[in-house]
Amino acid sequence: MTVRVLGVGAAAPELRLRAADVGAAWGRGGRGEVAVCAPDEDTLTLAWQAADRALAAAGVESGQIDALYWGTSRPPFAEGPSFAFLAASLSLAATVGGALCAGSTHAGMEALAAGTDAISAGSARVALVIASDALRPGPGTGFEARCGAGAAALVLAVDGPVTATIGARVTRTRPFLDRYRGDGEVDNRDMYDARLFREQIFLPVVRDVAENLAAFDVRAWSLPDPDGRLGAVLARDVRAPITTSSTIYGAIGDAGAAAALLGGIAALDAAGLVAIVGTGGGRTTGVLVNAETPVPGAALTADAISGGRPASYAEALRARGQLRPVGETIPMGVPPESAMFVRGADEMLGLLGGRCVDCGTISTPPSIHPHCINCGGPKLEPVALARHGRVHTFVVNQTMPAPFVAPLPIVVLDMDDGARLMLQAIGDGSDIEIGRQVALVLRKYAHERGVPVYGFKAQPKKEVAS
Amino acid sequence: MSWNKVAVVGAGLIKMGELFEQSYEQMAAGAFDAAVASVDKGFEPHQVDAAFVATQRGTLWGQEGIGGNTIPTAIGLAGIPCTRIENACPSGSDAFRVGAMAVASGVHDVVLVIGVEKMRDKSSEEGLLSRAAAGHPIFTRGETAPVLFAPFATRHMHEFGTTREMLASVAVKNHYNGARDPYAHFQNEITVDDVLKSPSVCHPLHLLDCCPQTDGAAAVLLVNAERVREFTDKPVYAAGFGVATDHPYLHEKDSFTEIKVTRMASQRAYAMAGVGPGDIDCAEVHDCFTITEILDIEDLGFFDKGDGGRASLEGDTSLTGRIPVNTSGGLLAKGHPIGATGVAQITECWWQLRGEAGERQVETRNGYALQHNAGGRGSGVAVVNILTNRTDTS
Ligand SMILES: [Zn+2]
Repeated sequence: MTVRVLGVGAAAPELRLRAADVGAAWGRGGRGEVAVCAPDEDTLTLAWQAADRALAAAGVESGQIDALYWGTSRPPFAEGPSFAFLAASLSLAATVGGALCAGSTHAGMEALAAGTDAISAGSARVALVIASDALRPGPGTGFEARCGAGAAALVLAVDGPVTATIGARVTRTRPFLDRYRGDGEVDNRDMYDARLFREQIFLPVVRDVAENLAAFDVRAWSLPDPDGRLGAVLARDVRAPITTSSTIYGAIGDAGAAAALLGGIAALDAAGLVAIVGTGGGRTTGVLVNAETPVPGAALTADAISGGRPASYAEALRARGQLRPVGETIPMGVPPESAMFVRGADEMLGLLGGRCVDCGTISTPPSIHPHCINCGGPKLEPVALARHGRVHTFVVNQTMPAPFVAPLPIVVLDMDDGARLMLQAIGDGSDIEIGRQVALVLRKYAHERGVPVYGFKAQPKKEVAS
Repeated sequence: MSWNKVAVVGAGLIKMGELFEQSYEQMAAGAFDAAVASVDKGFEPHQVDAAFVATQRGTLWGQEGIGGNTIPTAIGLAGIPCTRIENACPSGSDAFRVGAMAVASGVHDVVLVIGVEKMRDKSSEEGLLSRAAAGHPIFTRGETAPVLFAPFATRHMHEFGTTREMLASVAVKNHYNGARDPYAHFQNEITVDDVLKSPSVCHPLHLLDCCPQTDGAAAVLLVNAERVREFTDKPVYAAGFGVATDHPYLHEKDSFTEIKVTRMASQRAYAMAGVGPGDIDCAEVHDCFTITEILDIEDLGFFDKGDGGRASLEGDTSLTGRIPVNTSGGLLAKGHPIGATGVAQITECWWQLRGEAGERQVETRNGYALQHNAGGRGSGVAVVNILTNRTDTS
């Protein structure tokens, strides 16, 4: 069965770290910059952002998704409901199938392959494929200044408008150690020997896969480039006319499991054959995508990952959890494993309200509102809340105990559907004023007992409502 | 016609402050002794028939589940009926109202209402600031106390042109009064410039826009009006009271330029007392932050909506102004030991109505003083008590 690509989306995190700043800390040089997650971002929030954009580009409602395939080397739980949290935050149906692919930076290619196979086999009609990653290199390791973060998402379907179709696939597996972290370790280790990696582990197998795809008339390539040089070697080998991945690596660094698909979707902005090659954990896979017309969302890739806020090396280390303060932090009043999180799981992750059947007023969140806040009526129906609104009033909190970090803007919002919410806002508050338009995006509110607590935050837009 | 079924025959408090050297029980005993000593014709502790204790945050001194039994033992009256009232920042105000109802019901003739609060036994981080992590994991995450009122300041400034100088003038006035109150936590005067230049706590509120964390205790003795002459010839009566509630979460407020519960509670209290805002000689109102007092004086009906900032700046609420507000120094200078606050405010009203407020004494032409607290995630509940020295209404 033909597997079509209906739309794609990309995302990059908030912070940008200069390689020169990393190098300076260790008595080395460095060029370029990489993307780093803010403390409230991770592979799940990046996945949400890319998927939200891909669904919008494809014109597909979240309820139409039959299967979710998510690839990342760092799911938020080593063991736990990573997949289920992401599905709920995207408001996917409780019946959604699919899989979380993890364990190496090859996970993004595994998700694409699995999504393609699910559509081909007829087990899903519409599949959402997401690759996201946020590498956490050991401080001082040789490739530390190369490690970035980002996400790519594709909506695959058995039918739909003519855009692009997934084609041939080539894969190789070899039992070699490349970049890894040991069992129970949180930071990636340095390469044992850079020359050994290059000559005996990386190039032979990636070259083999790429040359198989080079037999076709490939217009644009996405090629792995873990050290800033190997990508160019491969491009030369396959005589690549365009290497879209080099632009991605230049903007956000090595986005791990997301790198291959980010380069791939960036190439889908024009008709022609695209070759996507990804590697990691001893596995390498190449996939051809044939774009008959530009794929919706592809042309937005560069914009989606551009920008970002400069961060010092210390801020990046703190954001990655590698620089921690000594001392106690204030625990959440409601532990993340407790009953309130069971009752509120869907309404928190999917942002639901209860709309009064009698007067239309929306009370939020539903679990604490058996009755309408306006008329007192007892009949409320769950509704997904609007994701856009404007600031009614706000504060910027400067005084909080750890683990909170000031400044923390908190905004009261009038949403486009008439609901009112109070949420944290992204940034330092300097761009917030009454009337400012905002969009809600998924972020982390807390991380406690090993559990990330996700919810929506207000992202200020440039425009001010009149 | 005022209610006047219950009289206040004694009132007292301890010096407010960071009372690291005193236990909760010691503070309570000090306030009770002060109230007993204040009774004109003498009072024996065992005359207390029942007690109502207001403590809002037992958690701050490590005892979450305090009941009514702590206070009787502390004041040497183990065995008497005692009930804890917890109703957010108005806990002390509400304990007074409940105590007055207990007397008026005829069940008890003499009731002790005592407010006690330990705010500083835990560090600031583990104490009051820890509420940043309490409550709903998303909708209240980061919600320290200033977050409950700063959005009102932002909106009031936006709609009415209220300025930071206007906010600051509230702190300046209350510190001026506090410098004349021997029981106040802060006894120093400050300038508008001091407030403007103090560090930002929660934009747009700065450090001196905020009340301190204060340990304290206060107590009043209530008796059936029919027995008042056994205790005093200068009685002060509960003329009326009102309580109102609103939705708990900030995002559920109808308006960020008024505290609805203050308006509703005061209307109920005025109706019960048979008076209006124009009859009030002085008021002790909830000024946890400077913006709160500006909202209060509008919502209590002393000034038009939006005019509170101007009125404060121009001295309309000073000791010699049209309506003196927070003559004790208010929460901003006297301090805010939560459960004790309302009872301490009533003590100030009692002194003013008896002409015993010393340097802070204002003219009580009509014979009415008003006391007010709002709280419960900031503005979820308000209590207003009106006191009078007039006997012609009973
Ligand atoms: Zn309704």
